[in-house]
Amino acid sequence: MKQRRFSGLTLGLAAVLSLGLVGCAAGGTAAPEAGAAGDGDYTIAIVPKDSTNPWFVRMEDGVKQYAADTGLDVYQKGPAETDATMQAQVIQDLIAQGVDAIGVVPVDPGALETVLKQALDAGIVVVTHEGASQENTMYDIEAFNNTDYGGFIMDNLAEAMGEEGVYTTMVGHVTNASHNEWADGAVAKQAEAYPNMTLLAAEPRVESQDDGEVAYQSAKELLKKYPEIKGIVGTSSFDAPGVARAIEELGLTGKVFVSGTGMPAANKGILQKGLVKSLTLWDPADAGYALASLATLILNGEEIVDGVNLGVKGYEDMKFAKGSDKVLEGNGWVVINKDNVDEFGF
Amino acid sequence: MVDNVIAVRGVSKAFAGVQALDTISLEIAPGEIHCLAGENGSGKSTLIKVISGVHAADEGTIELNGKEFSKLTPMEAISNGVQVIYQDFSVFPNLTVMENLALTAELAEHRTFVNWRRMRRIATEAIAKINVKIDLDAKVGQLSVAQKQLVAIARALMSNARLIIMDEPTTALTKREVDALFGIILDLKSRGIATLFVSHKLEEVFEISERFTIIRNGKHVITCLPEELDHKKFSFFMTGREFDDARFTPQIRATQPILETSRLSAHGAFSDVSLSLRPGEILGITGLLGSGRTELALALFGSLKSDSGEIRIDGKAVVLDSVRTAISHGIGYVPEDRLTEGLFLERSIGSNIVISEIDSFVSSLGVLEQDKADAEAQRWITDLRIATPDAQNAVSTLSGGNQQRIVLAKWLATKPRVLILNGPTVGVDIGSKHDIHRVLRELAAEGLAVIVISDDIPEVIQNCNRVLVMNAGRIVSELDPTQTSELELAALMSKDVQTLEGIS
Amino acid sequence: MRALPQKLVRSNEFYLFLVIVVLAIVIQARSGQFFTANNLVDIANAMVVPGIFAVGAFMVLVSGGIDVSFPALASLAVYATTRILVDAGYEGDLWLPFLIVMAIGAVLGSLNGWFASRFAVPVLIITLGTASVFSGIMQGALGSVQIPNIPPAMSEFGRATLFVATNPDSGLTSNMPMSFLLLVGVVVAAFVMLRYTTFGRGIYALGGDESAASRAGFNVRRMKFWLYVIVGVIASIAGLVRTSMMDQMHPTNLLGMELMVIAAVVLGGTAITGGTGTLTGAMLGTLLIVIVQNSMILVGVPTFWQGFALGVLIIVGTGISALQLTRARKRKTALI
Repeated sequence: MKQRRFSGLTLGLAAVLSLGLVGCAAGGTAAPEAGAAGDGDYTIAIVPKDSTNPWFVRMEDGVKQYAADTGLDVYQKGPAETDATMQAQVIQDLIAQGVDAIGVVPVDPGALETVLKQALDAGIVVVTHEGASQENTMYDIEAFNNTDYGGFIMDNLAEAMGEEGVYTTMVGHVTNASHNEWADGAVAKQAEAYPNMTLLAAEPRVESQDDGEVAYQSAKELLKKYPEIKGIVGTSSFDAPGVARAIEELGLTGKVFVSGTGMPAANKGILQKGLVKSLTLWDPADAGYALASLATLILNGEEIVDGVNLGVKGYEDMKFAKGSDKVLEGNGWVVINKDNVDEFGF
Repeated sequence: MVDNVIAVRGVSKAFAGVQALDTISLEIAPGEIHCLAGENGSGKSTLIKVISGVHAADEGTIELNGKEFSKLTPMEAISNGVQVIYQDFSVFPNLTVMENLALTAELAEHRTFVNWRRMRRIATEAIAKINVKIDLDAKVGQLSVAQKQLVAIARALMSNARLIIMDEPTTALTKREVDALFGIILDLKSRGIATLFVSHKLEEVFEISERFTIIRNGKHVITCLPEELDHKKFSFFMTGREFDDARFTPQIRATQPILETSRLSAHGAFSDVSLSLRPGEILGITGLLGSGRTELALALFGSLKSDSGEIRIDGKAVVLDSVRTAISHGIGYVPEDRLTEGLFLERSIGSNIVISEIDSFVSSLGVLEQDKADAEAQRWITDLRIATPDAQNAVSTLSGGNQQRIVLAKWLATKPRVLILNGPTVGVDIGSKHDIHRVLRELAAEGLAVIVISDDIPEVIQNCNRVLVMNAGRIVSELDPTQTSELELAALMSKDVQTLEGIS
Repeated sequence: MRALPQKLVRSNEFYLFLVIVVLAIVIQARSGQFFTANNLVDIANAMVVPGIFAVGAFMVLVSGGIDVSFPALASLAVYATTRILVDAGYEGDLWLPFLIVMAIGAVLGSLNGWFASRFAVPVLIITLGTASVFSGIMQGALGSVQIPNIPPAMSEFGRATLFVATNPDSGLTSNMPMSFLLLVGVVVAAFVMLRYTTFGRGIYALGGDESAASRAGFNVRRMKFWLYVIVGVIASIAGLVRTSMMDQMHPTNLLGMELMVIAAVVLGGTAITGGTGTLTGAMLGTLLIVIVQNSMILVGVPTFWQGFALGVLIIVGTGISALQLTRARKRKTALI
């Protein structure tokens, strides 16, 4: 009896494991042969927050483009969902495989410090994107200055709101560095440029948990509780679509507005219906390209200086952020609206 | 003998090379009350499983209703009137009595939908058959053991049973409940329904069984009438060993009692208990379930708070407010339900033995000295004849009797001066029982003071030099075992209960 | 027989109901918004997906098992369905998406069922494994990405409205989604199955004592297998509803819901050890959690504290059921 039980267990586990492996192997990228540093034949891995999010799927296009342009072994490998622990695990695996460089878009910079330190200690080049607060990185690149981008989002929202009324901000998670910097930037811009607008004091910042359903439910609650709200600054790519759904259902189309980051294809519907006037974004493919490019420069032993050119539009003249010798900022943002939504091809 | 309910002919069954049954034969006549006896591991349960179709026999046949089967299925067994009442009764504690009774019938008729009105009718009829009153809407989990058993019997009778097999039916029942059960069985007998008792205790079923079949190591030993059996023979047939029936005579060296209580009371459990115990004594405390015997033991072991009265050790008053204090005063306690209270079943035998004195194997640096601990464990395994090839095996690999010995070893390892045992041989087979009694006597001879709490009357009479009878939380009588009889003791225990009930 | 009022007072559902009423009054007092027509409709709307999931989770818990794979199962089933239909350019009616998603749900559920009925491995481990397998297949083999445009029939179903509730003061409107009927339908079907079929009673019997169930003549293996198939189908329905209502397929949207749903069912008085619990309790438990989740902003709980508040509710709520269980046991021992 004991014996049978045990063999049953082993069998079951073996079956589950092998199935799981089949599932992973089919879609994953095969582990590359690690190339020795300095020989010009580098292996560079880009680690996004979430491998299924279309944003990062688009990023992979840029990564692949870079690989095609240079002939280097550059590939993208991310966690199955937006989860700091899973992301750390991916990086751990990459360290074990002995890649030459890792480019990370951190889910939670704090949670990655240890593993990125390990990578650096192992002699691996570490660069980050959208992780200005990351300590264990050589350089962090931002498509733009986060505060400036937040201001840009605010400009869009202010235009839709007629530069007046109460608004609040929505972030994926209150621990998300970039989202909060954008939101802060938006609030700063409003204080400076739009005196007739006011930030909702009672709920200045809500979470969408990077989930369209939560964004929708939270927006409904906000609008019920605070009927004075006329605008919501969205940051995560889930925010604007979710909030737009709430605005439409509550019968507030044309009365309440939302701005934020969003992909053209995913938001074509709400832009064309006029639920959202405009969204802002930068092309993640370019960011992916720039990350790999920066890593290559470092591996080649080149000095990274103000004005460094990463070879892709918006990243041709990177400037160090104020007071930092690590964070490089470009100027790669764009606006999408119902007129140009079809032009992006992603 | 066509008119047998069942005839088992030359059945053999082996599991992974171990011969569990070896050409066993057994016949039961309609209405016969037959007892199948054997020690744990003798093949009793395998035989029941073969009869009920759970296991197919390797060799031999089973004749039911004049039909011969070499491979019996459970459905065939049931449709030919064989019903098993398992020790755990196989009831659903989360369902009502009604569903427990009717669900099987619904299933047997291959119904897709259940009809609650029909279920109620079926259940009412089933309960009527055994002539008892049970709330059909009560959850079975909330019933007493005896009531659960009645539900199981009623359910068994629904499918026109001709033979009811009862696995250890009286183990958890009080005397009155046993009487009620026997009443029902006699009633079944009058309707021609045979009963096969499975038991390893003679006294439980002696008065009602008409014939005995005893098996040992998978082999048939004897089939005989009750007149041909007595305690000694029964034990011999079961174990193949001769046992000394000598009574215990204490060798009391000290005159000072080691443990005394005076007017000890705990609200709702016991009151006014005064007793004294000297080294070398084995004191029996007996009483029915709920008489306060277990609570008294727990109070002496510091795990139940007493409200008033005094406990004295070596003549000095002590407060036993925790198990730790009790242990430090040299008191050991072997609990009633060894499986749930006393052992870590998945841990090794060795670590179970040394766990209560683990501190004494820790060096001054705080490191566990594994060698010393292992040696200590091995000493007890040898002393108590624990049947295991390796002290590293998990306790769950042992039989009930051996598990009980581990609990004993565990407490002896703390070198107690007073050892309290609660139901030391409950659920233990005869061989192990004798071994445990032998160990207790040896311990007493070495100067240990022992308290045995048990409702097993022969056990206390044979092994104690004094017996206290508890009832409704009070000590009602103190007896000298040599001056009393099993009958008198039993009468004392139950008589008081009846008067008590007469008052309430 | 105990009198009905007394029985009611002793039931877990009654206390849960009281808690919900008190909570509603507190929210009303703090926000003035709870008992407005459109807020109540919003709650009902938010209840649909967790509610359908809870029915499945409840059945598994009652049978003595536990399933943590249902969000992954639902995600995979809906992802595959949407992908197939979008790639085929399907423009037809709603029946086909439902048919496909339920079929895939059944197949995936049967995988759980097969493992659970064949191997003596705790179902928790099995479903942890299959959950990884399901999301692995979805994200690895199928290379899942967000699908922004779902088939028109699903999109229409997501927008289909039973009625529109308007708050007369603010003029805000909320739609009662058609899918609420689906929740009602699933609950009624599950109720009938659990109460009036031999299979349903067998699930309770199984949770009470598995070996007793098999001795009583239940085919335990077959029952477990079909139970997980049914649960797979129910989960896949919930997945389709979520995707339709969001008007886009996001593969990871459902993941992580399992803990909340199981907590809701346990909060509703279903014993984690199996055998006991009612569908009413499971629904009330879900309702309670949904209300709390969707009233944090109304009450004004700061964003930072919302996760904390939900955690406390789950601990206290399940703690109370555990306490009741211990009390009941103590009462029993006292009787002996």
